[in-house]
Amino acid sequence: MELGIKNLKRTGIAMTVLLSSTLSVQAQDTLEVWSRSGPQAAATYEAVFKAFTEKTGIKVEYLTALQFDTQLQARVAARDLPDVLIYDQSSMAAYAQNGWIKPIEVTDLAGYDDVSEISWDSVKVADGTSYGVPFSQHAQVTFIRKDWRENLGFDVPKTHDDLIALATAFATGDPDGNGIDGDTFGMAVPGTTNRGFFAWWMFSYLAQQGAHYVEGGEGKYEVTINNETGKKAVNWLYDAFCGDPNLAQPGAMTNASATPFFAEGKAGIYQTGPYAIPSFDSKIGKDKLELILAPAGPAGSTTLTERTSIYFGVTSKLPDAQKALAEFLISAEGQTVGMTAPGQPVVRLPVNTTLNGAEIYGDDRWATVATQLENSELFPSDIDFTAARLEIAESFQTLFSQCNDDVDAQLEQLANRISDELSALDALK
Amino acid sequence: MNQTGSASKPTAASTEGAHTPSVSRRGRIRSQSRWWSAWMFLAPALLLFIYFKFIPMAQGIRMSFQDVSPFLGNTWVGFENYIEVLTNERFHQAVRNTIVLGAGQSFGAVIIGFLLALLLEGPSRTLWFVRTAVFLPVVTASAVVGEIWRIIYYPAADGFLNKVIGLFGMDPIRYLEDTSVALYAVMTVGIWSSAPYYMVIFLAGLAGVDRSLYEAAAIDGARMRHRIISVTIPALRPAIMIVSILAAVRALRIFTDVWVLTGGGPAGSTQVWMTQIYTQGFERNNLGVASAASILLLIASVLLTFVAIYFTRNKEAK
Repeated sequence: MELGIKNLKRTGIAMTVLLSSTLSVQAQDTLEVWSRSGPQAAATYEAVFKAFTEKTGIKVEYLTALQFDTQLQARVAARDLPDVLIYDQSSMAAYAQNGWIKPIEVTDLAGYDDVSEISWDSVKVADGTSYGVPFSQHAQVTFIRKDWRENLGFDVPKTHDDLIALATAFATGDPDGNGIDGDTFGMAVPGTTNRGFFAWWMFSYLAQQGAHYVEGGEGKYEVTINNETGKKAVNWLYDAFCGDPNLAQPGAMTNASATPFFAEGKAGIYQTGPYAIPSFDSKIGKDKLELILAPAGPAGSTTLTERTSIYFGVTSKLPDAQKALAEFLISAEGQTVGMTAPGQPVVRLPVNTTLNGAEIYGDDRWATVATQLENSELFPSDIDFTAARLEIAESFQTLFSQCNDDVDAQLEQLANRISDELSALDALK
Repeated sequence: MNQTGSASKPTAASTEGAHTPSVSRRGRIRSQSRWWSAWMFLAPALLLFIYFKFIPMAQGIRMSFQDVSPFLGNTWVGFENYIEVLTNERFHQAVRNTIVLGAGQSFGAVIIGFLLALLLEGPSRTLWFVRTAVFLPVVTASAVVGEIWRIIYYPAADGFLNKVIGLFGMDPIRYLEDTSVALYAVMTVGIWSSAPYYMVIFLAGLAGVDRSLYEAAAIDGARMRHRIISVTIPALRPAIMIVSILAAVRALRIFTDVWVLTGGGPAGSTQVWMTQIYTQGFERNNLGVASAASILLLIASVLLTFVAIYFTRNKEAK
């Protein structure tokens, strides 16, 4: 009996020690930072934060989550948010609207002047308040298998017609020279509706055709995807997905990622972000790969701008450390480490205007990315576009997987859905 | 409480026998302490249950009546979330898909589980090996199963399954991309991974079938199918009932298979109730609506279980 009590006491003490040690893991002065990154990008972030800690003495506890939104929801429910979030610009408005992130007096940040005005504009919500600090920017670019193109005797595509001709040749011919026609595919397409990704990918091609999902600005938008230009643009894409041959890789509409199809030599054209450069170089080979400006459609070569920004969690008790980290991340030093540390560049092109991306990388392809960035557009991010983006991705996935020639009717339905979502936010013009 | 008292009597009596003085007083203290000592033993499990099951469930019910926004304050919206779920076209599609997938998958898995059990029943060493091999899909993580099947279903002509059907002169099928096929492709994976589980339950049931019944049937000249219909199936009735309930309840909550294989696509053709809840809650940040949908799922599961119990009871009564 006595032994039992002793044991119980011991267990109790052990439990208390265990519990207190678990709680004390998160020390008071450690800044908790989250990003949505794969393992390679995470390695680069680790290096960036290491440099930050060395410089300022502020410790960083870094967590990367691919299921970023799910994990963030859990922390929201616990009313205990990470101190700093580094994530896609497209999420900012939603976070701000839900009160998860703090408004930021951006002019108070050291190094404010070094960051481009267009970057600062991108972190404002409809009422003009800034909720983020810009960290990285790039435009989607077009990757092509140079060796495949040359095998089939094609020039670098300059127009949409060239692009379709090349994709068709990849899909029907034998660009990889294995003796079998038609076992390769034209384009790698990320048709997944996860996070509404398909809507982002389509944005570039639609813009090149002169079409937009919505048009407007400063918090008020008008749905334009169902106007004449919109219909024409969607029909053009429809032919690529539903014509014969199908130019996209098999499974384009349900693959979680299209990257492996390009990286493993199944598809010859891929429009994606330049963050893929290091991994394509190692998997395909630098000499077999080319990165080009988007082939022009009737309305030009515009592609999608993608931005990563820094947000401050509202529950944080470390406002000074939050600010210090943001200042470091936009400084020339922080930006350079983010580009050059081993792994995957987390700063794709610097937002800091004192830096030249292509020079730092020592790689001309990044100059192409910079040129493309000049000729690119941001998906509206001053309002919470998440619901509308999901509707767009789902509608086009439906259209391109059913291929039932119902383009105009489905576009009308989509336009109504987008209007509903926008009016729920009071953002309909 | 009575039960605890009576269950602990023998030990109480034996200790009383060993120590003579003040028997009655100590006995009373013991039996008084008994009622809470039972709860003490239950406490760890109960605490875990309360903390991880009942409190979240209560919270879920509350959230289903709210517009959830932890940082701006939740607002009561009455039955609005439920109305949203019940009138939302995507949820209607999800209900249809869940019913088709659930019914098909339960039925398929139970039948195949039963056939596997008949084939693999017996004490032989080789059978033991085959049974283990057949059981493997059950213990494999569903995310892994999904990825493996994505490879099997690879939609090009050189995909695994397409090569196999190509041997019979069939055209390649886009299993997970074709909106009219995707749901059945997911169903097949579900059957493949859950049938062995039911097989084990059936095997346990088969072990309890009286051998003399088979012998009697054989003497009477019954063929194989007669033996199965007239001897095996009636003897397995309790097992069949349990397996069917399990299968139906499991099918209602199907998530991982669908999520890994198709993510609910293409064009929502494999969108089921749980994937719709996930999308509403985590992608659209609509936790109130997601909670309402979860509560409806809970009600459906409870109702289904009651219906199943009712039918089992009726059978037993007969």
